[in-house]
Amino acid sequence: MQSNSSNNNNLPQTSHTSTSRSSDSGEACGGGNKWASKLLSECARAISDKDSSKIHQLLWMLNELASPYGDCDQKLASYFLQALFCKATDSGQRCFKTLATVAEKSHSFDSARKLILKFQEVSPWTTFGHVASNGAILEALDGESKLHIIDISNTLCTQWPTLLEALATRNDETPRLKLTVVVTASIVKSVMKEIGQRMEKFARLMGVPFEFNVISGLNHIGELTKEGLGVREDEAVAINCVGALRRVEVDERNSVIQLLRSLSPRVVTVVEEEADFSSSRYDFVRCFEECLRFYTLYFEMLEESFAPTSNERLMLERECSRNIIRVLACDEENGGGECERRERGIQWSGRLREAFSPVGFSDDVVDDVKALLKRYKAGWALVLAQGDNHESGIYLTWKEEPVVWASAWKP
Amino acid sequence: MLQSLIPQSPINSTDPNNSSSSMKSKRAAGDFTAGDSSSEDPSSKRASYEKPTTETDSRGDDGGEASGLRLLGLLLQCAECVAIDNLNGATDLLPEIAELSSPFGSSPERVGAYFAHALQARVVSSYLANQAIFQALDGEDRVHVIDFDIMQGLQWPGLFHILASRPKKIRSMRITGFGSSSELLESTGRRLADFASSLGLPFEFHPLEGKIGNVTDLSQLGVRPQEAIVVHWMHHCLYDVTGSDLGTLKLLTLLRPKLITTVEQDLSHGGSFLARFVEALHYYSALFDALGDGFGADSVERHMVEQQLFGCEIRNIVAVGGPKRTGEVKVERWGDELRRVGFGPVSLGGSPAAQASLLLGMFPWKGYTLVEENGCLKLGWKDLSLLTASAWRPAD
Repeated sequence: MQSNSSNNNNLPQTSHTSTSRSSDSGEACGGGNKWASKLLSECARAISDKDSSKIHQLLWMLNELASPYGDCDQKLASYFLQALFCKATDSGQRCFKTLATVAEKSHSFDSARKLILKFQEVSPWTTFGHVASNGAILEALDGESKLHIIDISNTLCTQWPTLLEALATRNDETPRLKLTVVVTASIVKSVMKEIGQRMEKFARLMGVPFEFNVISGLNHIGELTKEGLGVREDEAVAINCVGALRRVEVDERNSVIQLLRSLSPRVVTVVEEEADFSSSRYDFVRCFEECLRFYTLYFEMLEESFAPTSNERLMLERECSRNIIRVLACDEENGGGECERRERGIQWSGRLREAFSPVGFSDDVVDDVKALLKRYKAGWALVLAQGDNHESGIYLTWKEEPVVWASAWKP
Repeated sequence: MLQSLIPQSPINSTDPNNSSSSMKSKRAAGDFTAGDSSSEDPSSKRASYEKPTTETDSRGDDGGEASGLRLLGLLLQCAECVAIDNLNGATDLLPEIAELSSPFGSSPERVGAYFAHALQARVVSSYLANQAIFQALDGEDRVHVIDFDIMQGLQWPGLFHILASRPKKIRSMRITGFGSSSELLESTGRRLADFASSLGLPFEFHPLEGKIGNVTDLSQLGVRPQEAIVVHWMHHCLYDVTGSDLGTLKLLTLLRPKLITTVEQDLSHGGSFLARFVEALHYYSALFDALGDGFGADSVERHMVEQQLFGCEIRNIVAVGGPKRTGEVKVERWGDELRRVGFGPVSLGGSPAAQASLLLGMFPWKGYTLVEENGCLKLGWKDLSLLTASAWRPAD
């Protein structure tokens, strides 16, 4: 079955292996109007051309029409306007820092947890990667008695209860599990203590011998060491990277991958969002267009997945606004906060192949993911990557656009 | 002062939104995720995302009143920054205001959300307006501002900032300000002079008691050669700024200023941005309260009304300068406007008042008042006037 998406940005060409019927084509957001992307693109171009009167005219118009509480067009206009405004006034750094500090202050364990659980309830955006990764990890570590999972993510350990459960219900003897979580997002750091306590409690309930460690003092992942992680010779190591690699500065990505290789893992699972803010990072207009494309999808997905008056959706949108400012209005060098330059699956594959070989997901795992998708609203599908062309893994698609990529690798 | 601005209704204890957030779900020991698989069928190995969470507000809204006060304080602080054109200061405060507010929260949070957005829009448009002035004055080193209704002159510090920070130094900066009271003009002049000297700007103030429309000769304005003239015209729907619109226009053609900036003002008192802001905050807090009582907690309809109708109105009030935001600004007090163009009032006592009372009685909402005053009908919410209805015919 041919994919009939008109937007052919690297859409994998293989057949859909599982499709939920998509909702009828009355779009959730702004129908055919899409005035926001037109104005925004023109403004980005004017900024690149340094046409200051045009810039100001367009900013003025966007300011008139934007609202963070309106429909998709109004929201996109509002958040992208903020980034463009920061760029025009050279205040991206300052703005990002303020937004990040404020968000961190207002988050608590309860609010962070409720947010991520609600998101997982209404959308497979994050659970897709969890189910695929857990499947690959369990298969790679089958038969081992001492497991060490190094989790480089900011998912508040929502991935692990199912894995613990699977370990507990295996036919053979329950293995020991050591879970080392490497946390980069400052918002997450403050809540890890409580998360750890709950994980330990849960593992006790499951009857799985369990050890939990958090590493949060790093400035960047490149500082990890075998000793620092507590990796022992008799352990079977799995490394789980969910939204982790995109937080590494672009020039350091290959060496971080080599670092992961040096930990001698049995399997490395990588989950990333399907967007490219990296190859265009010195070309403002191209980067802007890609940013707009990706976040339009994301906002539309959020709007269709959540209730109209949802505070959780609002918080996720605000998180996007910080990322958009980071990508579009902050300098390369003085990051101050995580890099957010996403890359596509095919780009990550190219990098990972320098140190690893791809492991395909088994039929069982693919079935599990399909079963997961069936539990959500229509519009989601799983697509396998093509074998050649150095691509591997599976894609989560929403309305036939690939949005999340999951893959597994071995040395 | 802050306390008096918080609606004195019992919203903080009985607001449906607040009560939902206190409905904290009690979690059993060992319970970890919402999909509590340990209590579900253990054979479904990898399926644990089914059970929906209880509908609690994930904003973790404890201490609602304390955060409501903090939100109010931040809003006022931000408005003060905007009023003196301290855009950096305002921009620093907006993220926190946004985090504390939400269009889907309690009444103060909802009001806060729209005001925060309006302030954000104001910051952007101030920046753009300053840019326009900056560009218009590019290359000029003598500037003469003629303000048709200067009042406290609160918009000029912004311009002073711009001019003071230019690499090409200003040789002369003059403001000619019209006003109705020589006392006010004097104090405004003093304040502006102090501010200018703190920035090292050469400054002169020329007060003119009266209206621009009465000026017939350019020499009355003290125009000098080689000056860049900027005219600032604040329209006021409730009193006559110019004295004669036609006369003013004739004068402008003679003057040929480099730039004319205009402003429309909708509330009846407080020329300053800050006073207008405070009044609007008070008014809309009451209004949002009223809506909160009438609709349910998660009402999509209420959200639509607030976002589309009031959000726009609030923006109209907070925004100063530039084109009208929606093209259809509500004039709240038609009486004075109509008098100006030659109408007299018709009393609405008797039958129309009775009908209005009946209509109000059909709704279960509490707290509304209907009062007849000077032949007008006033709809109120807990003693704050919301709407004035009146009827007019040509006066002879």
